[in-house]
Amino acid sequence: MARAQSPAATDWPIAAKDFSNQRFSTLDQISQTNVASLKLAWSFDVGVRRGQESAPIVANGTMYVITPYPNILYALDLTQSGKVKWKFETAQPDPMSRGEACCDYVSRGAAYAEGKVFFNTLDGQTIAVSAETGQQVWRRKLGNIHVGETMTMAPLVVKNRVIVGNSGSQLGVRGWIAGLDINTGEIAWKAFSTGSDSDCLIGPNFHPFYDMDRGKDLGLATWPGDQWKLGGGTVWGWISYDPELDLIFHGTGDPASWNADVRHGDNKWTSGIFARRPDTGEAIWYYQYTQHDLYGHDGINESVIADLVLESGKPARKVLLHADRNGYLYVMDRTSGEVISATPFVRVNCSKGVDLKTGRLIFNDEKKPIMGKVVRDIAPAAPGGKDWQPSAFSPRTKLLYLPHQTLAMDFEEVEVNYIAGTPYIGAHAKFYADPVSPGDGSMGAFTAWDPVAKKPVWNIKEHFPVWCGALVTAGDVVFYGTMDRWFKAVDARSGKELWRYQVESGIVGQPITFLGPDGKQYIAILSGVGGWPGVVVSNDLDPTDPISAHGFGEAMKDLPKYTGKGGRLYVFSLP
Amino acid sequence: MNGQNYNARRRSTFLAITKPAVLPAVGIILAGCGRAHSALSPVSPEAADIARIWWIFFVVCAAVYIVVALLVVGARWCRGNSNSTAGIPPPLKVEASQELRTERIVLWATVVTALILVSLLGADLWVQRGISPRNDDPLAIRLTGHQWWWSAEYQDPNPSRVFETANEIHIPAGRSIRLILESNDVIHSFWIPQIHGKKDLIPGHPAEISFRVDKPGKYDGFCAEFCGYQHAHMGLIVVAEEPAKFEQWAQAQRTEAPPSLTDSQKRGREIFEHASCSLCHTANGTMARSRVGPILTHVASRSMIGAGVLPNTRENLAAWLVDPQIAKPGAMMPPNELSKADLNALLDFMETLK
Amino acid sequence: MNIARIFWLVTFAALLVSCRREVRDFHTGGPPKVRQLKGEPAAPDRYFSAQGPQMEMERNAYALSEGKRLYSNFNCIGCHSNGGGDIGPALMDARWIYGATPEDIYKSILDGRPNGMPAFRGRINETQARQLTAYVRSMSGQARESAAPSRDDHMKTTAPENSVDRQMPKPDERPKL
Repeated sequence: MARAQSPAATDWPIAAKDFSNQRFSTLDQISQTNVASLKLAWSFDVGVRRGQESAPIVANGTMYVITPYPNILYALDLTQSGKVKWKFETAQPDPMSRGEACCDYVSRGAAYAEGKVFFNTLDGQTIAVSAETGQQVWRRKLGNIHVGETMTMAPLVVKNRVIVGNSGSQLGVRGWIAGLDINTGEIAWKAFSTGSDSDCLIGPNFHPFYDMDRGKDLGLATWPGDQWKLGGGTVWGWISYDPELDLIFHGTGDPASWNADVRHGDNKWTSGIFARRPDTGEAIWYYQYTQHDLYGHDGINESVIADLVLESGKPARKVLLHADRNGYLYVMDRTSGEVISATPFVRVNCSKGVDLKTGRLIFNDEKKPIMGKVVRDIAPAAPGGKDWQPSAFSPRTKLLYLPHQTLAMDFEEVEVNYIAGTPYIGAHAKFYADPVSPGDGSMGAFTAWDPVAKKPVWNIKEHFPVWCGALVTAGDVVFYGTMDRWFKAVDARSGKELWRYQVESGIVGQPITFLGPDGKQYIAILSGVGGWPGVVVSNDLDPTDPISAHGFGEAMKDLPKYTGKGGRLYVFSLP
Repeated sequence: MNGQNYNARRRSTFLAITKPAVLPAVGIILAGCGRAHSALSPVSPEAADIARIWWIFFVVCAAVYIVVALLVVGARWCRGNSNSTAGIPPPLKVEASQELRTERIVLWATVVTALILVSLLGADLWVQRGISPRNDDPLAIRLTGHQWWWSAEYQDPNPSRVFETANEIHIPAGRSIRLILESNDVIHSFWIPQIHGKKDLIPGHPAEISFRVDKPGKYDGFCAEFCGYQHAHMGLIVVAEEPAKFEQWAQAQRTEAPPSLTDSQKRGREIFEHASCSLCHTANGTMARSRVGPILTHVASRSMIGAGVLPNTRENLAAWLVDPQIAKPGAMMPPNELSKADLNALLDFMETLK
Repeated sequence: MNIARIFWLVTFAALLVSCRREVRDFHTGGPPKVRQLKGEPAAPDRYFSAQGPQMEMERNAYALSEGKRLYSNFNCIGCHSNGGGDIGPALMDARWIYGATPEDIYKSILDGRPNGMPAFRGRINETQARQLTAYVRSMSGQARESAAPSRDDHMKTTAPENSVDRQMPKPDERPKL
């Protein structure tokens, strides 16, 4: 049995580096002045040429890389330029799961804790592997692939709980989050996103800030009939944890189906955020970003933990920074769930703002979908102002670095049929570059946002959506990648591009940094295009169908001209 | 060929065809006078207004017709008695006094005609105003036309009280009803002659009508806009009942399918959920959640199957399940190959959907 | 008999020919010729042969438009979009992982394929599977142009099936991962 080691502060043990989800590294060897001389140190072919959305993780001199389906886990020895230490190939997800994953069959990363590496498989298993030997410690089947339940998120380990959630809102899956025992994989608690209070682990200590989220069994009462059973609200995104408050914060996915006519009401507890106790899963507060989500804007984006002085002279507040798919950047009080501010960070015309008194999103009736009618120019489109791709926050610059997209869409509701294990969507959508803002045909943006002043500080436009996470370091350098194969470093304060490197395939992953065993700072990123927009390439779609890829076909029709499939890890360092 | 002969033959052929048809045709036309489908036996204030305006138009137009007809006959008769040479009209005599009189008559006739038309228009607008949307806490029902059936969703501010049914809607007598009319395929038209006028259902453009039925009873509705092969078999039944009874019905509609008790019911449920039924239909409380066919959660409580095609009996349902194309050719539901035991099991299960 | 009469007769006869594309048989879901097979033992070879009823379906507008309706009703559209693909592969291109013959497609629909295509046997009947097969083939221009659907009831995105270029099907030789 391997000795449990705790990772050093200069490691990168989970996808988001630490519980705060800031993706900020204190390493500063690579800085604005020398980043231009960054060179490839070594690279590694992961052998799977699908969307590489995962973050490599680093602990105790070893890097762990999880591939998309068939979910191979590699341990790479950092003392020997990434020589394979061991390879865990026996996850062997059910091949059927490839037909169930809505948006390419990705994985968003593994997690290291207490000598074990934890990851989820596409067919809904959570597996713990010994970090030292690569032997399986336990595995637990959690999802039913035959109703479309997959698992793509990166687990979070808090204390003795491995916290995981499911994917598949678009197939009418009922969402849940579960806490597993770190040593045995036993399910310690499981909280659903729809259904009765007891199913959702809502008890006497549940105190949401707004009236709209208070009441008994809202997970039943805000749905017609038993529609909540197919209600979506899957937990496929990021979880953050505040040890001081002992709360985890996790978003819930969009309600199923996209055809909102079949699910009148607010559809609790979808498209919102829960604060829960990690030990028991008990809900403490909840806030719903989008009530009765009309456009597939789900609420799973990361909530970055920070302490910010919002008004000069006043003490710093414990906040969450959350750029939601509905286009608003929320600054929330993480102790209570109060929304302090909600500011649009992209063009938003499907809603008119957030009422801070009631917490409700004010929808724009002009853009309300009607069965049988094509509603044009809805902004933001279904993937939202920003999707899962995680932002980074630098405590040095006090800026939030947002990789995101600027898309609008045409949307038409159609009759929806539930056939277990097939998409449960009920809408046709077609995304395109937002014609107004920016209006120049660009679909992606990388924005540095000042959450106190509630405005952007700088902005970089990209042709394709920036479907890659962000990384910021104490050297005041921000890293991100693009779908047209560039990996870039920009100045954290001015946004000036300092360095770029062309990789084999488009980047949809998450950059990380770590201190190698040789004492040098390294930057790592996986390339390999895929994910929702990248599936156009990774699944060889026919770009003459504009609604392919759940609406991304039109916008991504040129992607094959820029990138092919890939699956390669790149590690950079200063010479 | 002699032209006269040809014409005579044509006339006789015409008569030969039409004569036997006259009686049945008259019969068919008179059948329209039956009270059940007649706009002239209204049961709602809206339909009463429409019937009233119909009578007003009818009486006024009939009166005008008779007066005009009498004048024409009178003129012919007067002219017939004058001393003119047969076949040659007399030269027009222009007399100043006569001319003035004619002018005056024409002027008065014009004024009277205009007055009649304006009053009819006024009456029309008056009725129009009378049947404008009701705002006295109406019960809102979203009625969607499909090829060739209707779905109805009862709205409620509390979403968990929203429920859906198909082809047969119950309404509380004496309470205002607001129908939101939608279509999801082609243009249909809603028409229940005893309750309201026609209103088109246009895809993507919801329309509304509202009414109140005072007299409890069962009223038949139709699609009044040709919408495809089975347009004629797109019936809608409106059951107006006492509010208490309606509430009882609505409450029952909100419940889920009951648990299946007998082995046969269980087998039927399995077929319902895992064979072809669930690909198109919904029954709350089961795995079947599809929406292209009518919702079946309480199908056994309805009086007809196939949107008014067959009375809802076990035999008819069996025939319908095996081959709906016999009763309603072209309907979207396909024939089903079911063994006798399976068919009986499915019927046993469906009979629990009350 | 004068020339005018002959002209009208010929024109009328010519018009009648086009009725074939619209023949509807609600029990067999296509042209009446399909019925000849009713009651016969399974004869897939004959059924799918060049002169067989399946080919007849690809020339029948009713069968193709029913196929189009079922394609969206049964959620084919969820994974294959309007032919461009999504979770599942594109259907409007020339590449066919499991073969492009009507028989191959028919089998894929009814029996499923291991990488995510669910089996529909027992859930849809054979006629529906045949209509779907005919429609799927029309997406890459394999069905007769005069019978293929020319319009869409919903958000129009791809070219109508009756005006797509005919693709020459070829097996998929790409690595499977």
